[in-house]
Amino acid sequence: MAPHHMSDNQTGDVISYKEVNDDVVRTMTETGKWYYIALAGAFSGFLAFWILPWAYQIYKGQGVSGLNTPDFWGIYLTNFVFWIGISHSGTLLSAILFITKTPWRRSIYRSAEAMTFFSVATAAVFIFVHMGRPWNFYWTMPYPNQRQLWLNFQSPLMFDVFAISTYATSSMIFLYFGSIPDLAAVRDRVTGWRKQVYSALALGWRGTDSEWHWLFKAYTFFAVFIIPLAVSVHSIVSWDFALSKVPGLAKTIFAPYFVVGAIYSGSAGIVTLMIIFRKAMKIEKYITLNHFDKLGMLLLVMSLLWSYINVIEVFTGWYANTSAENETLVYRMFTTPYAYMFWLMIVTNTLLPLLFIFKKCRTSILACLVVSLGINVGMWLERYLILTTSLPRKFLPYMWHDYIPSWVEISMTLGSFCFFAMLFLLFVKLWPSVSIYEVKEDIGIPMRKGGGHH
Amino acid sequence: MDKAVLGLFTYADELLDAAKKLEGSGYDITIFSPIPLGHEIEHKLGPRKNHIKYFTFIGSVAGLFFGLLLTLGTAAMYVIPRGGRPIWSITPTLLMSYETTILIGVMFTLMSFLFFSKLPSFSKKIYDPRINVDYFGLLIDGNLRGRYDEVERILRDHGANEIKRVEETEYNS
Amino acid sequence: MSGLLERIAGKLRSYREPGYYTKLDHKWTMVIDLDKCNGCEACVVACYAENNLPVVGREECEKSRAFSWLRIERYVEGEYPDVKVKFIPVMCQHCMKAPCETGCPVYATYHNQDGLNVQVYNRCVGTFTCATYCTYDVRRFNWFTYKWPKPLEAQLNPDVSVREMGVMEKCTFCIQRIRSAKDTAKDESRPVKDGDIKPACSQSCPTGAIYFGDIQDPESVVAKLAKSPRRYRLLEELNADPSVIYLKRVMGDGTSSHE
Repeated sequence: MAPHHMSDNQTGDVISYKEVNDDVVRTMTETGKWYYIALAGAFSGFLAFWILPWAYQIYKGQGVSGLNTPDFWGIYLTNFVFWIGISHSGTLLSAILFITKTPWRRSIYRSAEAMTFFSVATAAVFIFVHMGRPWNFYWTMPYPNQRQLWLNFQSPLMFDVFAISTYATSSMIFLYFGSIPDLAAVRDRVTGWRKQVYSALALGWRGTDSEWHWLFKAYTFFAVFIIPLAVSVHSIVSWDFALSKVPGLAKTIFAPYFVVGAIYSGSAGIVTLMIIFRKAMKIEKYITLNHFDKLGMLLLVMSLLWSYINVIEVFTGWYANTSAENETLVYRMFTTPYAYMFWLMIVTNTLLPLLFIFKKCRTSILACLVVSLGINVGMWLERYLILTTSLPRKFLPYMWHDYIPSWVEISMTLGSFCFFAMLFLLFVKLWPSVSIYEVKEDIGIPMRKGGGHH
Repeated sequence: MDKAVLGLFTYADELLDAAKKLEGSGYDITIFSPIPLGHEIEHKLGPRKNHIKYFTFIGSVAGLFFGLLLTLGTAAMYVIPRGGRPIWSITPTLLMSYETTILIGVMFTLMSFLFFSKLPSFSKKIYDPRINVDYFGLLIDGNLRGRYDEVERILRDHGANEIKRVEETEYNS
Repeated sequence: MSGLLERIAGKLRSYREPGYYTKLDHKWTMVIDLDKCNGCEACVVACYAENNLPVVGREECEKSRAFSWLRIERYVEGEYPDVKVKFIPVMCQHCMKAPCETGCPVYATYHNQDGLNVQVYNRCVGTFTCATYCTYDVRRFNWFTYKWPKPLEAQLNPDVSVREMGVMEKCTFCIQRIRSAKDTAKDESRPVKDGDIKPACSQSCPTGAIYFGDIQDPESVVAKLAKSPRRYRLLEELNADPSVIYLKRVMGDGTSSHE
């Protein structure tokens, strides 16, 4: 067929619709040996670093972790908040960019949404990991039972149960329904067991006018729902801490602080993942430097916001001038080893992203990788510091006790990254990880008369 | 079984012209496309209704009341004092209701989408796999007895690359 | 008709008031006279014996996982030789506005009609929220399944359950003794008298520094002591409304401790 008119699009030198289909199906069907090595590595890491230590912990008790009496929430909750934070950019960004009809959304949003879903899954497992009796987790579900006990809807943990299950459900629906046309496209290209799987997943999609129409309407509503939902989820996560009376945790600024931090770390996560993803899948022409330029601007803005809120947090703590608040601040900012972590966090999250003022840095893959990894390290440290410098310094000095994580906790932290990597690796093979139809929209609608795209 | 006519186009504007012409002549048409053509179709063939919004609204309101009922109702059924707070605490109640509003709103939207788009449907339908790559399809269905030539002529005049008569059972999607 | 509406409105209004606290059957209160306390820790030992607390050993204690529901906090002030040592027994304060109770998602901790902050071991799923929210750090967690070596299991108190791994626990004001005193009083068809109930710590205190009773009964010892000018409550500024009242220790120079 005749080559389409090349429009002012976001994707590089893609010229025909067919090429898009070919490229995306290729990422799913052609599998190199490095993929299998990576998958095997991630899977064995998941087993060795997460499942086995967790089984050990369930068998022996929470005592194998480094938790102690004032500091009941250690790395487990740090990881929970971290992964929930990572989840906060994919779907939220995708929904916002969809509503605002931003063109550079189209080739990155699918994998970003998958990142959301998988990191929510990882975070959800950490809720069970940190529980004393995880086999009774279903007691936190609202089901009628013989005990005549319902749930304490005033508990921030109960908010969590509702918010996170709603978030996981909605982002999964958002991801799946945005993918149906692409699943149909894959269905038409593959054979064997894949044919049957994708036929079922595509729900019999034919691409008729009415299917497109209703999909678009429903998708818009999903996007509209996702935005306030995502904001509420991380606010609620922050209230797990902020509704206590613990100095360093009971801060009214926590909800916006966590939401901003979540979008910040999530966007950095997207940048890191996209760099690896486009390289490994050889789809540099779909995820271009232009995307990194835009994401870099976003990171810069979020970095400034985050730094501002961080200053406010320290300032209000200092201004309150209660002995407990002061002790927490000194403990966090000027006591080893936390001082190293705190100032490292300031460097990676406040100073390093200032590089993105320069377009040269925003469009340099190396700079993007360094800064985004730095931000992720910094954001993990932020959550770690929030928990491990407030709880060991509560009101009664007799009970002050430092928290040192045990090998079980460190291993499960590593394992969670393996788990996430495993899920994502499976995703790129089993799911069209670049949106076929929206990249085509980006190329433009082929018209005989007049211009290419709308 | 009655036969239908499927025309395949390379260019969207030609497809839309043909669709307008055929619809004007009173045929049942279905447009297939690899990308959403919402704007273009509405521009050419007139605006379409959005019934989903009613269901979304009903779902959200139902979710709000479900959340209120769940939090206030269970608290009143099993009075368990805690933390010196009232049994009915307003802020947490609104928070829970907020989440259920979204959850059930999303569920209703999903259900109404499946209902209106008639998905999932695994029965045999007319389809051409090239539609999901780079072809635009125009299916003329319904009672075509004796009018195949006219339909095919219109399609050809508008630049269809390929025109074929298809059975309803042609393609198992 | 209007009477019915009135009743419904009254019922609905009652849900908005924390009224369940003003109509308590009892309001058990502990008064600790720091002037009498000499820090001998007999109460701590009695608590271990009465409530089946496991002894976890040195290593676990170093990790701050000691099980003492009741602890004597020691604070040393000043440089040698001018050293002042202050101590204060701290147990669950049974706050009327307890932060821990709102934190638990499954109602494993709630307030009962005796004004006690109770912990339901069987309901606990171990989310740690209560312990994190507790401003007094009095909650203890079963990190492992603790075992009593052979002859020692015979000394376990049959009135108190041995807790399972993974649940939170804390001082109950010896709720088993409260329950048995109420049962006895019921059998004798009389209200519970002041002095019927003595928690293990109060019973074992050699100087009688720990008083226990119902502060709603104006004739009780605790009600009278609670009016003392030496009275204060721990971390009162946090507005948790604790049920444990301390009486300040007055030093030789007229200053009081814990100021």
